[in-house]
Amino acid sequence: MSDKTLTPKAANKRYFSRMIGAACGYVGSVFGVSFLIDKGDPVTFVTILAALIPGFFVLMMLWAVWRFVNEVDEVARHDMTQSMLVALFSVLAISGGWGLIELFNTNLPRLPVFWVFPIFFLIFGVVNCSRFGRIV
Amino acid sequence: MENRLKELRAERGWSQAALGDHLNISRQSVNAIETGRYDPSLPLAFRIARLFKQPIEAIFEDEDAARDS
Repeated sequence: MSDKTLTPKAANKRYFSRMIGAACGYVGSVFGVSFLIDKGDPVTFVTILAALIPGFFVLMMLWAVWRFVNEVDEVARHDMTQSMLVALFSVLAISGGWGLIELFNTNLPRLPVFWVFPIFFLIFGVVNCSRFGRIV
Repeated sequence: MENRLKELRAERGWSQAALGDHLNISRQSVNAIETGRYDPSLPLAFRIARLFKQPIEAIFEDEDAARDS
């Protein structure tokens, strides 16, 4: 549910606190799970469950973004949507291109699917900040 | 789309942040509309028109109509 009574500043503050919380949870859970589970460990229900924990924090980020685009004004929503589209299609292009090259060149290092998420947010962050810088 | 937002704001001595507070949009959003980088939706255009007590067409210039006439 959206809260249209929020000021843009309050919406921004709420968004950043939610995103920072989710990002800390994501990084912490990635390191925690990597530390607790060794590569050679047998795959059990518990290890699968533990590996899914970072995904929970990614869903929290989706929720934070979803709330933000509902709470913030239309210009910021427009900018956010465009930045996300640029990031999404850049990641699709990078992963698709890299995947094809991997098929033809066995010497190329493998790009784990895990990296899709950080690459997406890196591109999204850079694009969104550069847009922000242009209009200030 | 060209608009007179900056001029109307200056007449009242408002900053972009002050206008943003009146419209419940951010200062960056006011800037984006003023510079023509973003065309506001109809509801926001009506809010702007009500705030300045002017018809929409007195604030926003319909470039297509101006070209056709």
